Amino acid sequence: MEQNDLKQIIEQVLKEMQLCSAPNENQKCDGEDEQRRIPEIEDGSIPDVTEVDIREQYLVENPQNGEVFYELKQFAPCRLGIGKCGARYKTDPMLQFKAAHSAAQDAVFNDVDEEFLEKMNLFAVQTQCENKDIYLTRPDLGRKLNEDAVNTIKEKCKKNPTVQIYVSDGLSSAAVAANIEDLLPGIMQGLQSQGIDVGTPFFVKYGRVGVMDQISEITNADVICALIGERPGLITAESMSAYIAYKATVGMPEARRTVVSNIHKAGTMPVEAGAHIAEIIKIMLEKKASGTNLKL
Amino acid sequence: MISVGIDIGTSTTQLIFSRLTIENRASAYAVPRVEIVNKEVIYSSEIYFTPLQSSTEIDAEAVSQIIRNEYQKAGMTPDQVTTGAVIITGETARKQNANLVLNRLSDLAGDFVVATAGPDLESVLSGRGAGADRLSEENRNIVANLDIGGGTTNISVFRKGSLYAVTCLDVGGRLVKVENGKITYIYTKLKELAERNGILIQVGESAEEAKLRKICKLMANQIKEALQLSKNVEKNFILYTNDGKGLPEDLKISAVTFSGGVAGYVYEPEEKDLFRYGDVGVLLGQEINRCGILDQVLCYKSDETIRATVVGAGTHTTEVSGSTIFYKKEKLPMKNVPILRLADADEETPDLVSQAILRQMPIYQSEDKLDPIAISLTGSRYSSFTSIQKLADAIINATVSIQKKGIPLIVMLESDVGKALGNAINIKLRGKTDVVCIDGIKAQGGDYVDLGEPVGGGHVLPVVVKTLIFNS
Repeated sequence: MEQNDLKQIIEQVLKEMQLCSAPNENQKCDGEDEQRRIPEIEDGSIPDVTEVDIREQYLVENPQNGEVFYELKQFAPCRLGIGKCGARYKTDPMLQFKAAHSAAQDAVFNDVDEEFLEKMNLFAVQTQCENKDIYLTRPDLGRKLNEDAVNTIKEKCKKNPTVQIYVSDGLSSAAVAANIEDLLPGIMQGLQSQGIDVGTPFFVKYGRVGVMDQISEITNADVICALIGERPGLITAESMSAYIAYKATVGMPEARRTVVSNIHKAGTMPVEAGAHIAEIIKIMLEKKASGTNLKL
Repeated sequence: MISVGIDIGTSTTQLIFSRLTIENRASAYAVPRVEIVNKEVIYSSEIYFTPLQSSTEIDAEAVSQIIRNEYQKAGMTPDQVTTGAVIITGETARKQNANLVLNRLSDLAGDFVVATAGPDLESVLSGRGAGADRLSEENRNIVANLDIGGGTTNISVFRKGSLYAVTCLDVGGRLVKVENGKITYIYTKLKELAERNGILIQVGESAEEAKLRKICKLMANQIKEALQLSKNVEKNFILYTNDGKGLPEDLKISAVTFSGGVAGYVYEPEEKDLFRYGDVGVLLGQEINRCGILDQVLCYKSDETIRATVVGAGTHTTEVSGSTIFYKKEKLPMKNVPILRLADADEETPDLVSQAILRQMPIYQSEDKLDPIAISLTGSRYSSFTSIQKLADAIINATVSIQKKGIPLIVMLESDVGKALGNAINIKLRGKTDVVCIDGIKAQGGDYVDLGEPVGGGHVLPVVVKTLIFNS
């Protein structure tokens, strides 16, 4: 059935049920009702549920030893000791949960802002995925660049660099926006500090980790480093990983990738992670190995 | 990593070796987090009486002979020892040649780290050695350790595992010495305290148990009052060491532990030969046992009694730095580097950082001196790439005098951006000055710091922060 047909049927049903479906019908309502509808405007605002630090929120009523539980909570931002109302969540934790879930969905479904990429001086290329739906349902296409991308990289990137770095949205565009500004220059400066030559960084839209292998082959870099948004969780939607490999080739074993994960402001600080990644790359170049072959 | 602890106290000198195990606690795919995971005492020396040349001088030669012998007995050579501390404690620290002895030992014992202790540090070390910190953490309460030695009683209070307060009293077992039934020495301040309470006592008179017991009771009450467990005996006359401060007023202690030479007689007061050590230690222990402290709070068994300070010195002085840091290996180790600390307000902007460094620099640097200094700050305001670049510029601009002298530039941060800042400074200086930039270390102005050679796969540096502040 076409969408328009559906719409018509629904409108008809609503009319038959004598519910107001068009704005002009609303005006026919009697005076008493109208008075009731005038909203009362209050000063002030509802506190933002996402501002709550869940380590500091202990909501159990009449606890055996709330003090000790509270101290345990300080070790990790877990949704524990949040009380209950009958068999259900309390309102505040329930709203926080929903907010976190929405942030996670936004992180996956939103795109990275183009202005941001321009500001970071990153040109954008795309994998063989044409949109988010294909990206989510066809991981294999997210591992291959489209033809334009291959040509653009060949044209714009420095050939045979020691290190090639690129950024990808992966499963969290929010991670790119939150971390790249500190992470990317952090790595670049770290490499510069060691005197290591770096290629031209760029951005890959709809990228899976595996596309790094193809990029490595195209640029012929010794070390390839992919900065990619991690699948968001309910604690943070801004976490980023770096996958790094020495002389990566398409079809190589996954075990040859070295990963640094959990890069975000509440995990490993992006700027310090950048310095650390530069160090790993330096060791990788010395030992000519990566992944499980490289002991750090 | 082998650590040595040497404690030269008022009455005894001891040495221990301990093995510190360091391990990367982070998972394989995370940034390393290297920590000290285990501390184990692998050798304890005999307990020697501290050799003194006179009542004001330590016999440095005899002390170093003791240490030399103990190294041999333990089968240790100086180059096996990576870190540790020599501590001169109690009354002995006030002896004229204390520093000379320390220098002598540092040469003897090799390239390990040396620390002198004020009574505050000594209190902390003995408390940790006795296990009061661990007990307070496990029992989620407030535990005070009383380290009752020959010349001083060091009190440290731990709340749920972390240090809460320290103080030190001139109360100890060897403040009165007895030989052949005669009193041969009495500490002047103790004599004064006795006189205030109507007890007259002279060197040379015979050692009467009843009279000495009264004096020990006075000392026991001093401790009780310092712990705020008594109803104001003589509020204005507590024998705080170096006229230091007492514990905070609102303190509520849940339990005590005892360490030091006298502790044995607090825990087990039965002893027939009251003057077997030629002093009033046994009597003091008995009087502390009876003075009522034990009726008011819990009493835990300490991990160590007479060895508490030396175990503390051997196992608890060394920290490890954060695991992502910047250093030039060739420049390490470095010892006795003075700390230039920035106040929180001085960190607000890079300009203020520069000004604060320039303002304090003359205190630590004179024209002809070439000693490095370590600039210490929290760094918590500088977490973005751009702000770290500005901080790097600020530090570079303020340390031109250091760069000119060709000595290393040392920065110590609390927040985890050491490697990033190190990279930034290094690039901006184009490698002309050696840079050491570590994080995860807290230090105060007036402290000194020792930086060891990298351990843990080169990820971390062992660090000893030495606080020389006497009760302040």
